[in-house]
Amino acid sequence: MPREVATFFSRVAGDVVREALDSAGVGVGDLDAIAVALGPGMGPQLRVGATVARALASYYSKPLVPVNHAVAHVEIARFLTGLRDPIVLYVAGGNTAVVSYSEGRYRVFGETLDMPLGNLLDTFAREVGIAPPYVVEGVHAVDRCAEGGDFIEGLPYIVKGQDSSFSGLLTAALKMVRSGAKLADVCYTLREIAYSSVVEVLERGLAHTGRREVLLTGGVAASRVLNEKIEAMAKLHGAVYKPIPAKYAGDNGVMIAITGMAAYRWGYTIDVSRAFIRQRWRIDQVDVPWYYEFP
Amino acid sequence: MYRGTTSSPSLLVPSRMSSLKSIIDWVKGLELVKRGAESEIRIGPFMGIPAIYKLRVPKPYMHPKLAGMLIEQRTRKEAKVIAHALGNGIPAPRLLAVFPSIGLIVMEYIRGVTLKDYAYKDPKGALVYSREAGSILAKLHMVGVAHGDPTTSNYIVTYSGGLKLIDYGLSDFTEDVEDKAVDVHLYRRAVESTHASIATSMFESFLEGYKEVLGGEALKIIERAEEIRMRGRYVEERRRSVWRALS
Repeated sequence: MPREVATFFSRVAGDVVREALDSAGVGVGDLDAIAVALGPGMGPQLRVGATVARALASYYSKPLVPVNHAVAHVEIARFLTGLRDPIVLYVAGGNTAVVSYSEGRYRVFGETLDMPLGNLLDTFAREVGIAPPYVVEGVHAVDRCAEGGDFIEGLPYIVKGQDSSFSGLLTAALKMVRSGAKLADVCYTLREIAYSSVVEVLERGLAHTGRREVLLTGGVAASRVLNEKIEAMAKLHGAVYKPIPAKYAGDNGVMIAITGMAAYRWGYTIDVSRAFIRQRWRIDQVDVPWYYEFP
Repeated sequence: MYRGTTSSPSLLVPSRMSSLKSIIDWVKGLELVKRGAESEIRIGPFMGIPAIYKLRVPKPYMHPKLAGMLIEQRTRKEAKVIAHALGNGIPAPRLLAVFPSIGLIVMEYIRGVTLKDYAYKDPKGALVYSREAGSILAKLHMVGVAHGDPTTSNYIVTYSGGLKLIDYGLSDFTEDVEDKAVDVHLYRRAVESTHASIATSMFESFLEGYKEVLGGEALKIIERAEEIRMRGRYVEERRRSVWRALS
């Protein structure tokens, strides 16, 4: 799969760049710099982006700005909501973490001990045959399946201190479906447990850090149910929560651009010959000196 | 503080749901002393003596059944940990009554001041208690329990002169070095953030007491606690620090 996606990326890359420039009404010559997501993520896809960015940067003699994909998810949310010093729940297919800024970097307060939340939902949907497609009109297959379902007992809820865990939940849910439980009930309960546990980790993070603002970002952020839970949690603690449009919650180019812009202003560039991808580039390895003066 | 005038309902025979409901109502009428992230702490009479009523409240963002399930599990776990600690001679609050289905634990009311407050008044005496705090935590670790929140606010210097460790709400049965090291680290951070001027000697005394009880095993845990400290401010309490990305 990763390779097929990468092949697709390389085929459309040129059109995407042209379309982006056209819709912004600028040419490559008007650009100050080119921002590129070097990680974290899957190698084949990252390599396509990196190759295109390196080519553009060297051909047009533009500075190349390295951007961390996870940092970018947080920065776009801060940019869109105006919440400047939040605790952030980042939920996607490849990542699930609660982060907040401290002393120069985003620090990971809690995360999943095994699989990311998005991966849990996708894998479950695929295994029980309700996906692909995983998301139709912005609604995930598990969310759709959960309609009309009710909470049933028997699935494990695991929050250990500041971390959550989903692999046991996935196994138990699949087992339950195979032994004849109503699919809608299993979907409903799986979702309820998965979302509640990340919100509880977020709640502990909020209490621990004493933040007053809450953000949700990443591909799973589009979920209405998750949004409602976070809103209720924030209200309970007198904190402010603002959702961001689904378009900017999932992976997008704007978040890389806006983070690259901030980084560029602070003098971050990378030599084309050294712009390698970093599949496991952690969010807490990135300095964010622009934090208080963003955007 | 506790004034104790109302009489309690029959807490020993809560056989029907209606009586459980009336217990919650009655408990909610007691004097609230602390509202934590997980529970509400109140003081009230229990069979004629003052007691602590710890009531877990449902999370508004969860399905009521899930919230109820977690409340029951966690109440059971906390009571189990306390019973285990008490049974092994660790100075925890004595259990008076446990109602897992409504998330209520009734405990001995310990008369005293927190080690945190005590340290402000008597820094020298606090060093002696800090050493004892270390040996109490070591004993808990020795019987396979990590406390989860052993700050100076959770050690009580009792009026009779002893030291007790309270609040087992985040405790767990574990033999993991990391879990125990997190405890040691949390104590250190607590003394550093609230007793800066005597932090070093407080923590040194704590370690003396800790090592005295745990012996050789203590060194491994203390070393790990140091590692946790080096990981960074918020990352420090984390159990795993791998940023998980698909690859």
